[in-house]
Amino acid sequence: MGTTVVRALDGVNLKVKEGELVSVTGQSGSGKSTLMHLLGCLDRPTHGEYWLDGELVSSMSDRQLAITRNQKIGFVFQTFNLIQRTSAMDNVAVPLFYARRLGVRQASLRALERVGLANRATHKPNELSGGERQRVAIARAIVNEPKIIFADEPTGNLDSKTGTQIMEIFHELHRSGVTVILVTHETDVALQAERIIRMRDGHIVDDRLVDEAFRRDMASRVRPQLPERSPPPLARPAEVYICSFFAFS
Amino acid sequence: MFFFRIFMMALRSLWIHPLRSVLATLGVIIGVGAVVAAMAILEGMSAKIASGFESMGSKKLFVSPNVQRRNNRLVGNFDSLKLADADAIRKSCDMVGKVMPQIVNSVTIKFLSKNTTASLLGATEAYQELNSHYVSEGDFLTRANVQGRASVVVLGAKVKQELFGGRPALDERIKISGLGTLGARTFTVVGIMEAKGNVAFTDVDRQIIIPVTTAMDRLYGLDSVQMIVAEATSPADADVEAAKTEIKRLLRQRHKIRAGQQDDFQVQAQKEFVKQFGQLTKILAIVLGSIAGISLAVGGIGIMNIMLVAVTERTREIGVRMAMGAQRSDVMNQFLIEASIVSFLGGSLGVLAGWGLAKTIEVMTRLLETVTTGWSIAMALAMATVVGVISGIYPAWKASRLDPVEALRYE
Repeated sequence: MGTTVVRALDGVNLKVKEGELVSVTGQSGSGKSTLMHLLGCLDRPTHGEYWLDGELVSSMSDRQLAITRNQKIGFVFQTFNLIQRTSAMDNVAVPLFYARRLGVRQASLRALERVGLANRATHKPNELSGGERQRVAIARAIVNEPKIIFADEPTGNLDSKTGTQIMEIFHELHRSGVTVILVTHETDVALQAERIIRMRDGHIVDDRLVDEAFRRDMASRVRPQLPERSPPPLARPAEVYICSFFAFS
Repeated sequence: MFFFRIFMMALRSLWIHPLRSVLATLGVIIGVGAVVAAMAILEGMSAKIASGFESMGSKKLFVSPNVQRRNNRLVGNFDSLKLADADAIRKSCDMVGKVMPQIVNSVTIKFLSKNTTASLLGATEAYQELNSHYVSEGDFLTRANVQGRASVVVLGAKVKQELFGGRPALDERIKISGLGTLGARTFTVVGIMEAKGNVAFTDVDRQIIIPVTTAMDRLYGLDSVQMIVAEATSPADADVEAAKTEIKRLLRQRHKIRAGQQDDFQVQAQKEFVKQFGQLTKILAIVLGSIAGISLAVGGIGIMNIMLVAVTERTREIGVRMAMGAQRSDVMNQFLIEASIVSFLGGSLGVLAGWGLAKTIEVMTRLLETVTTGWSIAMALAMATVVGVISGIYPAWKASRLDPVEALRYE
């Protein structure tokens, strides 16, 4: 008899700059979901510190975490996670609701406009296509004007054409200055980021900036396999960062 | 404003699952319905009985044989009260005004080929003033009628109508027979009573009155009376009590009851009936209240059950809401408000159901008029809402304690 301690993340040290578009890749069980939960303030590390936008998240109370999620973070999920039988607009309004904000209608409509779905505001999720649902989810993620957006396999349930459209929205958001962190196991999606972090068994095994040469190199391979380097060097000096994360075991 | 929006959100999520919401409320609907219906019936009964006692007159004392129920059998001397007792009370009790011995039974009466049933009252000339009920046609029984055991009868308004219709009834001869009579006897109609409705739980319009002496000797062959009605000289509590003591002392002496021995008669004032009845109503209210309370508790368990199911089913939604910034208290409030709305709506439907049930009983039985008071409605609604909040606390707490990561992963 005995319990096995599983270290989903172990000795992870990571800094993300404000406005970056970062991919986190790795096979299932590599710890990328746990990393996203920690970075997304859904969970706290058992050890270590996490600073977000000048605040120490790792010692926040549940209530502070909820407020931080509400004000600074937007989530996009693989399965959309819209609330069923509730109109697109009401779905988008959920974060505003918990921010106790007034003028919910206009703000929601504006967010829907940004993803090109203003004409679908009164439709319910089951009346929308997969791509439209994901766009509603993105509108919901950006309605509170967060600093950082976490997208967990945002194109995983979509065909490639729709996936491309969704990715275009993320690029758009990135261009407008929002930090975007993409969790994906699809290499071509990961390659669209400026920086790729590769995970295995709870460790960061690669962390590199992506340039055109690298993209071309990857694109030329039949089965592109992202390279691994260990130990991971920080490819970029930490200057003004909004996000730095340590998890020591 | 925020609270209002949570309220609207709860309302919407209830609207999304109509069947589940109705099932959740069913227990409360039944519980509250039972409370409201029971209260309405009880209230109606109280009103009816209270007015029945009112109509007896507050000065009255009722002397009857001391008969008690033991092991489902009536024990005691049914024949302890004699006509002479009534005369003695009238003559020697200073605190007593009018006295009337009486016999009541139900009989069949016949005129030519027409039959009807009525309640027969063997009474004396004192009846009219004792009961403020007078003849509208002909004459009432006279003292001479009573002393002479005359075969004369005064008909209640409805009885007259049934037997004679619009035709004159005075001086006609009718036949009276019934259970316990010596046989059919012929009586001459001497008067018709005015219509009055219910007096002391009896429809006096369906009553016929004959001299008590005639009822004893000619109709039933009895040497005792069923009851002696006496009236105190004033309705003041002390005077009624004094009259009662006087009657007791006199009857104990007349019946040769030794000190320490039990009376073979009992004297009750109208006021005591009211008091006893008040206790009965209290007991009934407690019994009905407990039954209603139990069904409300069952309703609460129903709500809790359905809310727990809802929390499990919506785990992922809760996870999403938490990811979007819902605080634990927001989640808790959402489910608590849903539970309260469910139970409040259930309570409202229950009030309607209870009121409908009471009215149905009223129309079907025609026994009494039910009274649904605003107070009983308010109480039922308040109880329902409290039950909803209490049974919503645990599911809501459970929802609020969910781990957002786990909840998001929930399939």
